[in-house]
Amino acid sequence: MIEQFKQWYDKRHVYAREWKERNGGKIVGFFCTYAPEEIFYAFDVLPVRVLGSHEPQDVTEPHIFGMFCPFCRDVLAQGLKGRYDYLDGIMIAQSCLHLRQAFTSWEIHKNPGWSYFLPMPNHVQSKRAIPFLKEEYKLLIEKLEELTGKKITDDDLRRGIKIMNRARQVMKDIYEFRKREAPPITGAESMYMTCAQFFTHATEFAEVAEKVLVELETRKLDRDPGKRIMLVGSENDDIEYINMIEHLGEQESVGCTLVVEDHCTTTRYFWDLVDESIDDPLDAIATRYVNRTACPTKDWPQRTRLKRILELAKDFNVDGAIIVQQKFCDPHETDIPFIRKFLEENDIPTYFLEFDVTVPAGPFAIRTEAFLEQLGMEDDLF
Amino acid sequence: MAQIITAGVDLGSTYAKVVVMKGTEVVGYAISPTGADHDETAKKTLKRACRIGKVNPERIEYMVSTGYGRRVVSFSDESISEISANATGVEHIARTQNIRTIIDIGGQDTKVIALDDDLKMTKFAMNDKCAAGTGRFLEILARVLKVDLDDMGELSLSSKKPVDITSTCLVFAKSEVATLIFKGEKKEDIIAGIHKAVARRLLGMAKKVGIRDNVFFDGGPARNIGMIAALEAELGRKMIVPPMPQIVTATGAAIIARKRLLKGQ
Repeated sequence: MIEQFKQWYDKRHVYAREWKERNGGKIVGFFCTYAPEEIFYAFDVLPVRVLGSHEPQDVTEPHIFGMFCPFCRDVLAQGLKGRYDYLDGIMIAQSCLHLRQAFTSWEIHKNPGWSYFLPMPNHVQSKRAIPFLKEEYKLLIEKLEELTGKKITDDDLRRGIKIMNRARQVMKDIYEFRKREAPPITGAESMYMTCAQFFTHATEFAEVAEKVLVELETRKLDRDPGKRIMLVGSENDDIEYINMIEHLGEQESVGCTLVVEDHCTTTRYFWDLVDESIDDPLDAIATRYVNRTACPTKDWPQRTRLKRILELAKDFNVDGAIIVQQKFCDPHETDIPFIRKFLEENDIPTYFLEFDVTVPAGPFAIRTEAFLEQLGMEDDLF
Repeated sequence: MAQIITAGVDLGSTYAKVVVMKGTEVVGYAISPTGADHDETAKKTLKRACRIGKVNPERIEYMVSTGYGRRVVSFSDESISEISANATGVEHIARTQNIRTIIDIGGQDTKVIALDDDLKMTKFAMNDKCAAGTGRFLEILARVLKVDLDDMGELSLSSKKPVDITSTCLVFAKSEVATLIFKGEKKEDIIAGIHKAVARRLLGMAKKVGIRDNVFFDGGPARNIGMIAALEAELGRKMIVPPMPQIVTATGAAIIARKRLLKGQ
């Protein structure tokens, strides 16, 4: 069952095209996980996230500054190359300038006919953030009415909430298994799962994920889990890197398993559910997005994310954390010194890696290995 | 009882270094340029080290490979990263010298390693996707200046006015050096400037892991007396340089091999 997620990840566009054919529905591409997918589901619109393809490309140079992060350039490249040409619309919820540039450029050069900028507040710690966002959602709803030609009710919104919450809950349940001493699921497999959420209908995703949940009860992996690693940082779906470090143990004296992450492709995306006891569904959705684990663009003036990262590190019993950053990602770059200091003060050793579109396998292998060896110093093997 | 014989093979990007050990004593070592056939180079270098150490290669009980090509060494028992191997080598060579910081300049990687009071590695920094501050950087600029790599150190010491090299990017530094040659700057001043640029880059990395107590300097460029002087000037500390700075990592690998054997017994 677990292979299904890799297939969805690898063949994301095939899935989307087939979904459209099957359902005749509309698909909107979103650029950042602050997009309120619940509202799209209420309209029976399929929201899919735009991620890069990790291939070197030469199409974005005229449109986007070379010192903007590789992720935003990779995202724009997907649009310019027409890989998402089945989209009926694109939208972004404000997070960082780099990604907004990718969105704006896509809007100019490949506009599918419907595009929307949601001014998600940056100051989520303000009391005014929730009412502000709720009002903004009303404007988004008007815009979606134009796209779909339908009106929605509060019950439709509640249905949207249920659809998203179900997928979130099953992912959280799956993460419980990663707390085991010998996790029955690797970090790479888990990353395929969390990313497949972006490319599939949440209900279809949850149906398969719930089966995997049953499977995991008895699943055993024929590998030594080695050191327990956490990844913390910016957008990351670099499964090639995760695969590489999880296979180190086969060739080297040290191995590891990725047991948990703090990324907007993983826990920051699904960890927080919408509170279904809040009566007004728009209130409930706005509350969720304002209070979810923050992206560093919004985690200010308090760094609330530190607490969540430490909780995850402790609950998943990690031996060390690798802090990864998309090159030139300023918001994360600003957070990293604080995160490293904070984790190290809490006895969690850290190492820093800067990611690009592709992974420099040799140097990254050496550096990760040396970090794992450093974690193993107490074993007196060195 | 006969002493345990182990070997460490450090297959680097530029040179292959092999150390053969009896007990905890290095009895033979050999260094050769890394050719196209890495495994073959490692094999031949090992043979040579054994001949020098008067050791029958078949009597080697455990062998650890390290370095950029560690995984292609088909005949080793295990491979580990050169960072841990280097730290272990320093622990073995300079145990009593109060060393807490290591600077290792390799052919394509430069590392700064922090040690705790038990000489175990606690942190490290490594150059990122770029050849600035590596042995290759010195090698290529020596070629631009038409100076033998081995003469760079001596020459630079005669400089009275080292030039400032702004760019530590190898490609840009090359054109900067070319400009300086055209301007008629003295070779020794340019070389001293190059050493200073590398040292400054190293200082930045060293600050990331923290500099503490005595600093150990190894890797091929530690044979360059001008490089040592530049690092001492930038870091404001004396460098402790072993007599054979190129084989510290291979020595560490051989020591790890020995530890593995002893642990297994």
